[in-house]
Amino acid sequence: MKKTVILAVLACSALWAAPSFADPSAEELMKKYDQLMGPENFEAVVRMTAHRDDGTLRSYKMLVLKKGDDKMRLTFQEPAAVAGQEMLRQGDNLWVYMPNLKRAVRLANRESFQGGDFNNADVLRVKYQADYTGSVTTDPALPNTWLVELKAKAGANAAYDHMKLWMRKTDLMPVQGEYYTASGKMLRKAEFGDYRAFATLTRPGKIVMKNMLATARWSEMRWDSLNTSINPAPTKFVLDDLGK
Amino acid sequence: MFNLMRIAVRNVVRNKRRTVITLLALLIGVGVMVSVRGLLNGLQASMIESVTKGQVGALQVHRKGYLKNVLSSPLDLQVPANEAFLKKLAAVPHVIGVAPRILFGGMINVEEETLFVMMFAVDPKREFVALPKRRDTFSAPAQAFVTGSSDEGVVVTEELAKGLLGTKRRDFSAPTAILAPDRDGALSAENAKILGTMAMSAPGEKKIALVSLALAQRLLKLQGQATEVAIAVDDLEYGPQVAADLRQLLGDTYEVHQWDEIALFFKDVVRRQEIMLSVIASVFMILMLLGVANTMLMSVLERTREIGTMMAVGVRRSKIIGLFLLEALTIGVLGGLVGGAVGLGVVTYMGLHPLHIALPTSPVPFVVVPFIGMGYIASVVAIAGVGALFFALYPAWRASRLRPVEALAGG
Repeated sequence: MKKTVILAVLACSALWAAPSFADPSAEELMKKYDQLMGPENFEAVVRMTAHRDDGTLRSYKMLVLKKGDDKMRLTFQEPAAVAGQEMLRQGDNLWVYMPNLKRAVRLANRESFQGGDFNNADVLRVKYQADYTGSVTTDPALPNTWLVELKAKAGANAAYDHMKLWMRKTDLMPVQGEYYTASGKMLRKAEFGDYRAFATLTRPGKIVMKNMLATARWSEMRWDSLNTSINPAPTKFVLDDLGK
Repeated sequence: MFNLMRIAVRNVVRNKRRTVITLLALLIGVGVMVSVRGLLNGLQASMIESVTKGQVGALQVHRKGYLKNVLSSPLDLQVPANEAFLKKLAAVPHVIGVAPRILFGGMINVEEETLFVMMFAVDPKREFVALPKRRDTFSAPAQAFVTGSSDEGVVVTEELAKGLLGTKRRDFSAPTAILAPDRDGALSAENAKILGTMAMSAPGEKKIALVSLALAQRLLKLQGQATEVAIAVDDLEYGPQVAADLRQLLGDTYEVHQWDEIALFFKDVVRRQEIMLSVIASVFMILMLLGVANTMLMSVLERTREIGTMMAVGVRRSKIIGLFLLEALTIGVLGGLVGGAVGLGVVTYMGLHPLHIALPTSPVPFVVVPFIGMGYIASVVAIAGVGALFFALYPAWRASRLRPVEALAGG
């Protein structure tokens, strides 16, 4: 009798606890985010529009190429003022190739990307698994999402000290993000949208990045195309190839 | 009254030793006050010169609203930097130089190192005519920037040079570039060449690079534009007048500020110096006046018989008070005058032999030429006199309270 009761209790608690086995871990969610927003290999045409304090817009069009975990190359096509500028990431290193100088100059991750509200790492270093540790909770304000709280790993080349990321429970698509300094000040707030099926991947086609320090400014990143089934040659990701 | 004064002076002269000691106290107190004031005058004048002739200029012209947003060094608030506009400014009476500049945040890259820098773009041909002091802080190779022969030249602060090159590699020949978001926010770059270093000339100027206006205009796509114009005048006294003339000339589109509205740190420094001076002055003043009070009290105690005699022959108590107060006043004014003269002598001597003071904020020694105004000396003498009078109130009152019979008996 006693045994059956214990068994029943155990069974019940197992049943009751069952849904929590399906709860994704922070690692799984970060991995998912990296897969969606920074797939292993891809070629994409991306447009960024920066809305400036004075109400004017600046638009950029660029070709983005990624290979493996740590190689990325970005070529500006429009406007004419920056056409031919290229950015290259190799691991932790980032360079910008300036056509008028005919050479590449090293840049920092945290610098603003073309004067907009994304920083270089937002665009060129989507590697949350490598840069952050995380924990998962839920946010009563957005009950259909997981709230992932990420903290930069000590010594990691992360762009933010910590961030919050909301991901839909149903399909784990990112919904919004908040990015903070070490002192807890919110620098940026991102909203993901335009979820759609690209050639091989369904994911957000748009990120709106709001500047929380200068609230009159925000920038928008839009993906015209995204192809993850290519495998670019490694020779495309060396300094000497920039500008060619 | 005159009689009383004569007696007071005679009394002061009569006890030579006591008078000399008191005068000495006053002399040192007043002398130190005058000397310190003179030194401070020189220090402040030297700071003003450094600010108005090396950094800010006597006045600055900006597009309206610039100063309010100066921390973000906005590029969209521009001032024309063309010949016609600058000539117009230079034609204002008492203006002896106009220097267009652009302030902007950017990066400087030498080989593998890229650092954030506050850039300061100047037109070498105009900048060093209007504000000749900054070039005093240039290293010998940096002097080439002044001639403006190549617009790629850059002068960086010592600290920046260390950051860019490391302490061992002292080689400016490596490929160098200046990068900054241009007026549209797009990243822009130009080749540059570090010529040499300059010393930091104001607090907070740690990572600053001086570049040519032409280079900055290319880099930022600001052809023919600047973000500020520094104005030099023949005499700072005309500052307000020149400001008014410029405002009338330029109208509402532009704002004109005098140097002390821009170099706010200066006011802070001066305020701190003034507080320090008044503390020193008060301490010396109180010490020397206590000396006077002591002398007067001694005097009263020593002269009880004399006071008793005066009272016995019918001198009124008020006259006794008056006599002692007048003695104190005499000593105070006399000591003040001698101290003032000594202070003036010290300040004049130091003025003829200027001091070279090394400040922690600046590796370039400050040349301090102390000077003093007669008004200040007069006010210190007056304070010494009135103070002595005040500190003699109690001894004088004590003297007047003596009872003639007891006083005559010596007790």
